[in-house]
Amino acid sequence: MARSTVAVGSEAEPGMRGLWFGILVYRWAALAWMTVAALTHWQPLDDKRLALVALLVTFAWNVWFSLRQGWLRQTDRLIDLAIAVALLPIGGLVMADQTILDELFFATAYPAAAALTMGAGTGVVGGLLAGLALSVALVFSRVTNGLDLEAILEDWGDLVNGAVYFTAAGGAAGAVRRVLLTSAAERAEALEEAARQHDRAVRLAERDALGREIHDSVLQALALVGKRGKEMAARESVSSGKVRELAELAGRQEQALRILLSEAPEEPPPGMVSVKTALEAAAFGVEGIPVTVTSVGPAWLPAQAMQDVAAAVRQALENVVQHANASRATVFAEALDGELVISIRDDGVGFAYDEDDLRGMGKLGMSKSMRGRVEGLGGVMLVHSAPGQGTEVEFRLPVEARDRS
Amino acid sequence: MSDDRPEPGDADRSDEAIRVLVADDHPVWRDGIRADLEASGIASVVAEATDGGEAVELVHELMPDVVLMDLRMPTVSGVDATRRIAEDAPHVRILIVSATGVEADVLEAVKVGAAGYILKSEAGPDVVEAVRRVHAGEPVFTSGLAGLVLSEFRRVATTDVGEPRLSQRENEVLRLVAKGYSYREIAGKLFISQKTVQNHVQNILRKLQLKKRYELMRYAIQKGLDRLPE
Repeated sequence: MARSTVAVGSEAEPGMRGLWFGILVYRWAALAWMTVAALTHWQPLDDKRLALVALLVTFAWNVWFSLRQGWLRQTDRLIDLAIAVALLPIGGLVMADQTILDELFFATAYPAAAALTMGAGTGVVGGLLAGLALSVALVFSRVTNGLDLEAILEDWGDLVNGAVYFTAAGGAAGAVRRVLLTSAAERAEALEEAARQHDRAVRLAERDALGREIHDSVLQALALVGKRGKEMAARESVSSGKVRELAELAGRQEQALRILLSEAPEEPPPGMVSVKTALEAAAFGVEGIPVTVTSVGPAWLPAQAMQDVAAAVRQALENVVQHANASRATVFAEALDGELVISIRDDGVGFAYDEDDLRGMGKLGMSKSMRGRVEGLGGVMLVHSAPGQGTEVEFRLPVEARDRS
Repeated sequence: MSDDRPEPGDADRSDEAIRVLVADDHPVWRDGIRADLEASGIASVVAEATDGGEAVELVHELMPDVVLMDLRMPTVSGVDATRRIAEDAPHVRILIVSATGVEADVLEAVKVGAAGYILKSEAGPDVVEAVRRVHAGEPVFTSGLAGLVLSEFRRVATTDVGEPRLSQRENEVLRLVAKGYSYREIAGKLFISQKTVQNHVQNILRKLQLKKRYELMRYAIQKGLDRLPE
């Protein structure tokens, strides 16, 4: 969540908020100064009604602009610029003819706020263009004040001063915007990297948890082996079945522990989990028969989907333990193009698989729930079996085809 | 290299016990395997090695029929020992015995010359049967190893056209082995004889070892090792 806000709404950057706040303060201070200057120099003004209208319109616009955060919208910024541009020739109109060079100028420094806003909102070019528009309008303020061309040119120093002031304000604000957003992008990138690292840490922690679980079960198995071993030693005759049970228990734990120690954790993309690891976890703790987990190449699924798949695999294995009378089971996973195939195969008694028959006997419950899980993910479940030939349950799931490089 | 080896079935005609060398750093495993093999009556343990180096030396000295090789051993690893034995004494069959079926070491050991792989958790009679089969020239695959081999060939199929590939049928057979089907079951499923299944597996193994040599050759050419120094 937090990441996407930074990446999309760049205006929400703390630096940008600071910039906008600074410009807002300038805007209102300049407007206040413009008002104070007009009121204190009210008497010599030529067109007092136009001055009052200009002041009221500007004031109203600024209230509206501030409340609505108009600086974030291009239309509002353009209206703001239009008002500022208009204020300059209006300044020439309201002042007594040919006094503009000697008296305090009506619009004062207020129009620069529009250049700052445009620069901060659109960048260096926008800021410079706004400054340029204001500079041209500044020339017109001389014209509307009744100065002829000669008088205007004679005053070129003041004009250049004003033009430099407006364009520099717009350009500088644009430059600040660029700096802030660039560093924001860098920060967003760093944040994303941190999130990736965090994801990775979570995955490692999950693996650790699995490891702890296995270690714990190994300790329990060892305790059990020790206890049963002593019991057997005390008894006169021991059935070989009991001994085999004990040996299988120890063997399974050893294998689980070895797998954990020998394999480096795979690195799935963010949000995905390794199919192999998840299947190993699902097969782990299945009591009664040894289960081998095999996979071809690296395969990944989204964590949520994998949970459902693992639950279905676990159900299939429970089925094998309860009904198949098998000596072993193999879970096999293979990622083909656009499809993940998971097969659970046992060497047990098998059966004539016919859904209608099973439904009639009321035995479809387990199979239905597995099928439901797989079909919920857009996949299909197939069952291959025949009496005496074991059973293979196959899940085929659609996955996004990805580059195998 | 395969020409040096006796044809499958040759050894079955001999009445003598299969001479086995056990290489494992765990005395408990060595004792267990020795007991299983000698109880079977078809094999006898002629020596025990506690690491890979010792195994190589003992093979030189005794020329056993089959070596049961653990992968995790001190000093010289099971993979290195397998490579050296396969070079020195290609007629000696090597059967890898390890704790898990998914280690990359297993694939490597098979690539450099091991004829098969079984899990340490297999019951005694299964170990004996595996020894009998490698001695008779049959490869012994677990489902885990079949998965590794499939991955290996799939990787190849996408990179280089010159390297050995598996035929459609070999892929099919290998996938069924990976799914846990026995040779007998595969034969029934594909309507072919068990002997044909064995031949397919044999060919897969040969292609895997050929592929290893191809890789080494390509590496040598890349590094200019095939040219004589000037």
